[in-house]
Amino acid sequence: MSLQFLADGLVAGATIGLGAVGVTLTYSILRFANFAHGEFISWGCYLTLLLAGAIGAWLGASVTPLGALSIGPNVLAAGLLAMALTGLLAIALDAVLFRRLRRHGNSITAVIASFGAAMALRAALEAIFSSRPVYLSADLQIAIRVGGLRVTPDQLALLGLALLLIAALQLLLARSNAGRSMRAVSENPALARIVGIDVAAVIRLTWFIGGALACAAGVMLGLVVQIRPTMGAELLLPLFAAAILGGIGSVPGALLGGLIVGLAEAATVQWVGAEWRAAVAFILLIAMLLLRPAGLFGRPA
Amino acid sequence: MNAAPLGLRVKNLQAGYELGSPIVRGVSIEASRGEIVAILGPNGAGKSTLVKAIAGTVPIESGEVRLDGEDITARPAHRMAGGGLAFVPQTDNVFTTLSVADNLRIAAHALSAAQRRARIAAICELFPDLARQRGLAAGRLSGGQRQMLAVARALIVVPKALLLDEPSAGLSPKVVAELFAKLVEIRAAGVCIVLVEQNVRAALDVADRLYVLVEGRNRLEGVGRDLLADPEVAALYLGGAHGMAAGMNR
Repeated sequence: MSLQFLADGLVAGATIGLGAVGVTLTYSILRFANFAHGEFISWGCYLTLLLAGAIGAWLGASVTPLGALSIGPNVLAAGLLAMALTGLLAIALDAVLFRRLRRHGNSITAVIASFGAAMALRAALEAIFSSRPVYLSADLQIAIRVGGLRVTPDQLALLGLALLLIAALQLLLARSNAGRSMRAVSENPALARIVGIDVAAVIRLTWFIGGALACAAGVMLGLVVQIRPTMGAELLLPLFAAAILGGIGSVPGALLGGLIVGLAEAATVQWVGAEWRAAVAFILLIAMLLLRPAGLFGRPA
Repeated sequence: MNAAPLGLRVKNLQAGYELGSPIVRGVSIEASRGEIVAILGPNGAGKSTLVKAIAGTVPIESGEVRLDGEDITARPAHRMAGGGLAFVPQTDNVFTTLSVADNLRIAAHALSAAQRRARIAAICELFPDLARQRGLAAGRLSGGQRQMLAVARALIVVPKALLLDEPSAGLSPKVVAELFAKLVEIRAAGVCIVLVEQNVRAALDVADRLYVLVEGRNRLEGVGRDLLADPEVAALYLGGAHGMAAGMNR
């Protein structure tokens, strides 16, 4: 029995997990399901592409791939910059759209608005970059063997990066002032204000983190698949499945949920057939909602 | 020297959840440093709305709130605690998913790490029962312990004024006595305490002065038991109490 699905599934799962963290944080702090989150993934990937090109041109011919990886330092630097920019994009979207709705509307209004925002963001990408697929790295990578599995150095590096980002976020939430404030706002925004927390600042931080991690997911995705304006939107269902599987509000839950969805999808492709792949997230989502609606790490409402 | 009187001065306050239909309709109260002032009145008198408006969580339409002479009428709620005005709401006044220690830490988030440790240590000395349960999620505390934690949390910032909205609600007489004994200790430190109470007897035991609100306006004010001897107060309260008892007996 080949366990090759483990390698593909873990990388896909880590990508989904990074995206799901943003979904789960937005949901627990702002109390609505943001269907525009997938667009942050696409935008993050395109911004990285744009910046990597610019940095590459600026550095000239000196850009060579890092070690065994298919990408050079320009992509790495571009990715970091793009994470910050995507975080700012998320804050900007909140400022022009969701913040106004919070004053008057309810969470249903915000969900519907997020559909609209998703379409606008995707259309903007298509207008700027066209829908022709592009690639972050043109190099073909030779897979190496790790315990009988074929993995590319890119895959290993990405997996490590995703785990590092999520561990850092979990540490921030558990130990820092900012993290405590986020947990406090998530539980009781009115009391948070009374104890002196600037709730607006916590909301901006939440959007920034969600946007930045979505960008990281976009870069991971962009190294594995073709870059197209719809790439993030296509990941939306797995993101929500992962967030709900892990329990809304739980960062480790989102990662675990992402890994479960990613592994299940890869196993399905390997053993059942690629046409069933898209159904897997749905099935997991429905099963979890029926059996344990609060999710793996969630607390019952 | 600052000639402004120390403590909380509320003048002609008009406030409510919806603009144009105020619940508090021109209330004035004063509470000096080192004084406990109780706000009494029948249900719907606007007592809770008054303290919420002072704390910045209910919009103020007109009037003025001054703390140690400084105008804080328009200050946003999240800057009140840092400015020396701490508020303990009636319900949901601790973060149940956070530990006791994190509830205290979060109130100290604007302080430096050293100051934060010092303040938390001082508060733990004042509330030894809480100190023993630092690691416990606040949601697992008893009602009385939660109320103590809410008060302890409010004291982290060394407030000039402490507002409490019906702190005795739902607590046993023994726990109420403990809580109010703590308030007396806090008063001794020079804090001005404003207390909204339904429990007239408990309020009388600790309050230096009392205000009675009716329908969003000042009705009476005075010193402790003198006020209870007032036939109007007796009518207000006993009338209300009898009405309630009759309603419950039906």
